[in-house]
Amino acid sequence: MLAINSDAEATAVPAPLVSVRNVQKTYFTRQAPVQAVASASLDVARGEFVSLLGPSGCGKSTLLMMIAGLEQPTGGSILLGGTEISKPRRDIGVIFQDATLLPWKSALDNVLFPVRILKLPIEAYRRRALELLNMVGLSGFEHKKPSQLSGGMRQRVSICRALIHDPDILLMDEPFSALDAITRDQMNVALSEILETYKKTVVFVTHSIREAAFLSDRVVVMGGRPSTVALDMKMPFQRPRLFDIEETSEFAMVCRKLRLTIEEAHQGPLSGQTSANETRAGETRAGTIE
Amino acid sequence: MTSTGLASTGIGTETGAIIATAAPQNDDGLTNLRGIALPLGLAAIVLLGWQLAVTLGHISPVILPSPISITRYIIAHYDILLMHAVPTTLESAAAFVLATLLGIALAILITYSRLAREALYPNLVFFQLIPKIALAPLFIIWLGIGSQSRITFAVFIAFFPVVIATTAGFANVDKGMLRLCRALTASEWQIFTSVRFPAALPHIFSGMKIAVTLAIIGVIIGEFITAQAGLGYLIIFATARADTEISMAAIVVLCVCGLLLYGLVALGESIANRFYSADNS
Repeated sequence: MLAINSDAEATAVPAPLVSVRNVQKTYFTRQAPVQAVASASLDVARGEFVSLLGPSGCGKSTLLMMIAGLEQPTGGSILLGGTEISKPRRDIGVIFQDATLLPWKSALDNVLFPVRILKLPIEAYRRRALELLNMVGLSGFEHKKPSQLSGGMRQRVSICRALIHDPDILLMDEPFSALDAITRDQMNVALSEILETYKKTVVFVTHSIREAAFLSDRVVVMGGRPSTVALDMKMPFQRPRLFDIEETSEFAMVCRKLRLTIEEAHQGPLSGQTSANETRAGETRAGTIE
Repeated sequence: MTSTGLASTGIGTETGAIIATAAPQNDDGLTNLRGIALPLGLAAIVLLGWQLAVTLGHISPVILPSPISITRYIIAHYDILLMHAVPTTLESAAAFVLATLLGIALAILITYSRLAREALYPNLVFFQLIPKIALAPLFIIWLGIGSQSRITFAVFIAFFPVVIATTAGFANVDKGMLRLCRALTASEWQIFTSVRFPAALPHIFSGMKIAVTLAIIGVIIGEFITAQAGLGYLIIFATARADTEISMAAIVVLCVCGLLLYGLVALGESIANRFYSADNS
């Protein structure tokens, strides 16, 4: 169950940009300490898109917040370009599940919010902001306030906001899980397009297998309670990707393998024989693809 | 938000209700007209009934002067009324401004200092339970018979709703927004000026609207106790001489002054809304 897939090692990565080493997180509550992350290790190379996949409460968001410097690990270390992350940094852009826009500011001013906080020259960044908004299909909405935008549009604004100060790394915490399925598909395509233009290293948290498989270079399945890395798997699809790939049998195999890993990781030791067999079958099939 | 804020305290509800119902925005012209015509119509009917009751019922002017005679008095003696209205209005305005500043300062303290929140806040609430009007004479003893004792007492009465409303506003900030700010390495000061304070503005203004009516009440009570001028002084002076007409005229002018101050706060709110409203404008 704890076996780290050999795919990750097969990828000949240079020095990783983000390096998560045996990270643990325990919350000390009044009753008893709650271990959210038992031990997680993973590397993210520059320019790579890595998804953390798992069901709600599996500690994947906690891990992301630790990479963002918003939470401190209680064990292990997280390195960014060789230096330890102990607090939030300006070269990291974070996108949350909610768009969290300032309701009284226009879309444009919301995108420029980090520029003001980081005391960068507003005028110089205004063009970039307009460019980003245009890129996500929001030209004409620059001066609308969030209340006049749909949920998908708001999340697009928050993506632009995360990109405005050109951080090296984007951390996305279930950014599309509050959106309806159709909008979500559109956002997946939009995000791929954005990343074609603005090359970023992305760590993406999701509980959607399809989303993870479609977007990622690598999918890391978080499993168990407290969680560990159950699988670290390379996605064998070419870029740029269109939704066509979701109809291929290869895509179906990958999703199946991810699903079975999640199921296995979240089942107790008393789980039935059949599921174990299924898992093995899934692994072999996924193995033949690669 | 404004009208509920006012209604929940039960103080200043009348003035609040007039303003609140007279301004239903974003409606068509007809509804707007209705919103103005109905309260004015009702007021006209009440005044007419009052006038008829006094004239037909032969009520003595000492008991109840008629609206027409009060109006006539106001027109004839507007200079005297104005002379008394000025100190009352200025003192109320001063007390209101001080109460607002004090209220916001205390709210900041309560929000940012855990010690203040735990030690000061419960005491403030407890303090609020004291019928503060009963303390008015003490302020005369402490601060003398000048305007400073009236202003201080009015501040003392008026600051509390600002503290409560502002503290609630500061606490009401979206937690996700605070997390975003931390992720962006924003300083506490940046978070305060760019997120917390603007987000709290609607709360602050609802507190200020209550405070402005309380400030006037405070000043009038102060003038009842000791003053050489002011509308409160005029009311006490006239009532002692059984000159109900003057007293009523002073009350009418007082209402106008109150509306003026309240209107200024509402104006400030609509200016702030231009920048800090969630609706496009």
